[in-house]
Amino acid sequence: MSKIKALVVDDSKIMRSAVKRTLDQLMMADFEYIEALDGEDALQKFNDEIQIIFLDWNMPKMTGVEFSQEIRKMENTDHIPIIMITAEKSMGKVDTALNEGGANAYVTKPFTADQVFKVLSRFIDKDGNLIQDTEEDDKKSFFKDMLKFK
Amino acid sequence: MLPVQLNGIKEIPDEILDSVKECVQNTFESISGDRPDFVMQNGNEKPMNGIIGSINVFNTEHTLSMMIAIPKKTALAVSEVFCGMELPFESDDMGDLVGEISNILAGDVAASVEKIGFVGQSSLPTATRGSDLTLFLPNKPPTAKLKFVGTGGEFWVNLALSESRRHK
Repeated sequence: MSKIKALVVDDSKIMRSAVKRTLDQLMMADFEYIEALDGEDALQKFNDEIQIIFLDWNMPKMTGVEFSQEIRKMENTDHIPIIMITAEKSMGKVDTALNEGGANAYVTKPFTADQVFKVLSRFIDKDGNLIQDTEEDDKKSFFKDMLKFK
Repeated sequence: MLPVQLNGIKEIPDEILDSVKECVQNTFESISGDRPDFVMQNGNEKPMNGIIGSINVFNTEHTLSMMIAIPKKTALAVSEVFCGMELPFESDDMGDLVGEISNILAGDVAASVEKIGFVGQSSLPTATRGSDLTLFLPNKPPTAKLKFVGTGGEFWVNLALSESRRHK
């Protein structure tokens, strides 16, 4: 099983560590991490070897959504899952990230390992390999989950 | 829109205070598994030695400023449940943690007050370590100080609702 190159973007070192710790604990795949402090830093570190992106929204210099939009403008990036991990919880923000930002999934902070597992199951198979998103209408599934909690 | 007109008000509307109280309890419960209780202040609070996370939820008209004041003992307890280890109080990581907690709380508050007509966005958080910190705001906007007690200890959330500064 080869390592999955994951770009973890958050201006908080504590949160980058929490994301990495959770992914390691889940043992769904073997990850190699590249960390970035904000969208601008992430854009510099992004290359064609990056296979999945875990992305905060609210960061200095360049927000997560701006970064995501830049990535989606590039060729051959549609297949890279972008998972927003953010404190922004309003429906309008979720809609912006998924529809205008081009993110594939949305996890709100503080997250649990179960929430991350559920989202990652769409992108990683049981052998630890990246797969195409298994949910056709993934954006609606987030809203469905949100409504379930209300 | 908000049921209460914000312009010229002397106190923060109850709708906003109730939203913030609920969000504080939800946020800390999500982080630590323990839901802190809101307690009335007795007016004899001692100066705090601890760390304050500051963040704003704002729109073009108004700014809701939130300052989470966490005493050292509580901050150490929160760091242990959030990070799995107790962070040194003087470390940069502790500031990072309190900033992130402020960020999480602001996200929850922004989503909650949106339902009562205050549509805004969150600023980036800052954290300040020190003792007996007092906040001075121009034009004396309405403020509120909310106290909470959980198993990790006590903490306060100070609020101010002011007009947003406009660039001319």
